[in-house]
Amino acid sequence: MAEVEVRNVTLRFGALKALDDVSLVFPDGQFFGLLGPSGSGKTTLLRAIAGFIFPDSGSVLIGGAPVEHVPVEKREIGMMFQSYALFPNMSVADNIAFGLTVRRVAGAEIRRRVGEVLDLVQLGGLGDRRPHQLSGGQRQRVALARAIVTRPRVLLLDEPLSALDKALRVDMQVELKRIQREIGITTLFVTHDQEEALTLSDRIGILRDGRLVQEGTPRDMYHHPGDRFTASFLGETNFIEGRAETDGLHLADGTLLPWPDGKRPAGETLTLAVRPEAIVLSSAEPDRSDDRAVLSGTLQQAVFSGATAICRVDVMGATLKVLVKNHELADLAAGQTVWLSWPAARSMVLREA
Amino acid sequence: MALTARQTNALRAGVLLSPAYLWLTVAVFLPLSAMLFFSFLSAAPFTTDDWHFTTSNYTAFFSRSLYPDLLGRSLLLSAVVTLCCVIIGYPCAYVLAKQIKGRSREALFLLIILPFWSNSLVRIFSWAIVLRGNGIIDHTIEAILPVDVSINLMFSFPAIVIGLVHSYLPYVILTCYLALQAIDDTLIDAARSLGAPFHTIFVRLILPLSLPGLAAGAVLIFVPVAGSFMEPRILGGRMGTFYGTVIEDQFVAVFNWPLGAALSFILLAVVLVILGAASPVLRHAR
Amino acid sequence: MSPRRTWPIAAGRVYVGVILFFLYAPIMVMALMSFNASEFYAFPLHFTLDWYRKLAGNAPIISSAWRSVWIAIVTTAIATTLGTAASLALFRYDFPGKRVLQVMLFPPIAIPWLIIGTAMLIFFFWVGIGRGTPAVILGHVALALPYVIVVVSARLQTFDIQLEEAARSLGASSWQVTRAVTLPWIASGVVAGALFAFAVSFDQFVVSYFLAQPGDATLPVVIYTAIRKGFTPEINAISTIIIVISMAVMLAASRHFKFGGER
Repeated sequence: MAEVEVRNVTLRFGALKALDDVSLVFPDGQFFGLLGPSGSGKTTLLRAIAGFIFPDSGSVLIGGAPVEHVPVEKREIGMMFQSYALFPNMSVADNIAFGLTVRRVAGAEIRRRVGEVLDLVQLGGLGDRRPHQLSGGQRQRVALARAIVTRPRVLLLDEPLSALDKALRVDMQVELKRIQREIGITTLFVTHDQEEALTLSDRIGILRDGRLVQEGTPRDMYHHPGDRFTASFLGETNFIEGRAETDGLHLADGTLLPWPDGKRPAGETLTLAVRPEAIVLSSAEPDRSDDRAVLSGTLQQAVFSGATAICRVDVMGATLKVLVKNHELADLAAGQTVWLSWPAARSMVLREA
Repeated sequence: MALTARQTNALRAGVLLSPAYLWLTVAVFLPLSAMLFFSFLSAAPFTTDDWHFTTSNYTAFFSRSLYPDLLGRSLLLSAVVTLCCVIIGYPCAYVLAKQIKGRSREALFLLIILPFWSNSLVRIFSWAIVLRGNGIIDHTIEAILPVDVSINLMFSFPAIVIGLVHSYLPYVILTCYLALQAIDDTLIDAARSLGAPFHTIFVRLILPLSLPGLAAGAVLIFVPVAGSFMEPRILGGRMGTFYGTVIEDQFVAVFNWPLGAALSFILLAVVLVILGAASPVLRHAR
Repeated sequence: MSPRRTWPIAAGRVYVGVILFFLYAPIMVMALMSFNASEFYAFPLHFTLDWYRKLAGNAPIISSAWRSVWIAIVTTAIATTLGTAASLALFRYDFPGKRVLQVMLFPPIAIPWLIIGTAMLIFFFWVGIGRGTPAVILGHVALALPYVIVVVSARLQTFDIQLEEAARSLGASSWQVTRAVTLPWIASGVVAGALFAFAVSFDQFVVSYFLAQPGDATLPVVIYTAIRKGFTPEINAISTIIIVISMAVMLAASRHFKFGGER
């Protein structure tokens, strides 16, 4: 097991900067989610760590040692591809054994370890099948087994679950996490699905246009996003415009929304944001206090959405999204004046980004 | 000094590529350069020590009208053969690509391509048998019509054309077939749903889209025919003097290699000009 | 099907039939005549195997036939190996000048073989290789290489490069990857390429004509000289045999390579 680090990595494809001065540490034994929209450079970063492409500047370190001179086959990584890349001319067992065969491990040892890992991914007994005889979920598990049986230092996963349908994907997320915990391997997981990243990762890094935007634990990143992009990429967010003063955000109609962390110095350009699930919606004006933000607006739409109901409220021209319990729907009607309030501590302050 | 992974990749690519391309260089590109050099010599350096540089081989081309005439005759032969192949072959390719479906299409296509891959010399020879007088043509016609005929097509320009068309026809059918088959049927369906009659669809949709394939076939017939000597000799006899046969003579009979080289190079220049002119169209060909 | 559409389709099939007749008729006639007793191809037909018997006793033709086969086998071995290696490189790696390399494959196909043959003759004589079997093999491989590369590359288009990447990520060296993962997939393309190379070499006339030693020539060259001297029906016999062999080889190749493209 090893820590992986990239330092000031820049990588160009022609004139395009796919990675722009990216520095990140992937701690030993942790599950790290690399998240971002398509074209953000996350797969490029993964492939640079694997060794299929090479940075124009900066360095990649595995286990503390730089790997520019180390070819892919010697980096001791395990990789899972989006299309699984199972060898069609070999059985499941031979596929999994491949990494051991090229390392000239003894036959008996190979059989033992292949059997072990097949049990780990719960595919015991399917060793003689061919890839085309397996379902998507089964193939995915074979791909995982093949990647970990050689006991690599790092596991690299390139959107391994995006080819699966929803139910299967959720199951596999649980499996993946369980297995990773069990063997304790440093894992890098690339995905564009923020929910998946939040669920699985011990730490997350968000990439955008080749740059690292922010990294941290899922809870930190969710509750304290650094900028607009992160706030809207992870979960949903309402943005509120107004004039930033030392005591809070002053809205056009004079309402004051206090900062979550007390007074702030004057002169900064800031946006206030709040998550839909943090807001309490009521028909009657709530009690005011210094540590609550209170707004009023007009209810435009209340839509039943299963466990919750989604309300859209017009506040001085801006639309805020609020979640209410589904049984509260009955008391609401479009066009009525409603009150929104939330603890000031749950407001998020964002730099302009 | 350890190589970076990037350098190792470059090394591997080099190791895999160099044998093939070295071979091509030694066997094709160096000889072509050598021939160019040779064409400016007065005599072959390995036959005599008395040689010098000269352009007389090239001026010889222009001084007598014989050579330009023969070159023109060869180019005319190329044009006629190409035209015939295209006119005969394109409709055949169209029928195969668009009208016949399924297993029979593959089988028919294979049948048409098969002769192309057999020995061209032998195929020309088979025409020599068919076209000669008092041969099978006469007997077939006599069997059908109550006339006594003696058709001897051998040793004539038409004989050479027939033999060459027979040799190269599968080639143009192949390229046109590939181009036509690549045209998505749904495009044609869309045009029909918009009310276009067949000739409009053909002229405005099918022909332009298959043009690169047609051009590729045409060019790859025109060019080799321009240099042919075997077919004219066998089927043309005394009528079979072409630019290619004259070049052949320089190497095989007259042993004036520098002149042969110069004549060859002039032909190559003409060929390259034609290829160059056609390349914008060819760029889209498969 | 509406009557308006049936007749063009019928006409189309008839047309293709006519073309097939045109393509095979002379070959059939030649084959027929090889079994015909008359030395001058006169009618009526009398069946005989005499010409084939005479052929078996015709030493120059038989030895040149074996020489052609041997040269074709050597050419195939060399061209297939070199061509497959080059195809792999073109498939795996991206580098400046790749386009140039791809264009370099065209001259042997696009330039008239007369020019290539005479150029080879000049160059080989100049550097001391001269005429003869080594020169012929040099020439044949150069002509066959582009065909092998085109065929193997076409097969490689269907190969998922991630399979190679997966193998490398598991620790396999370049050669191990090629042997265990890539070659099994492209095997059919390699076989087809080999058969193409054999056909190109076995049927090659023009380049062999210039490069072969007078006493030591390949079969097509011997046939040509015999034709120039005058017909003998043994030529019919050997020609029929050659055509059958060539077509059999290409039929075999078609099992591994779709001439009409993947569809």
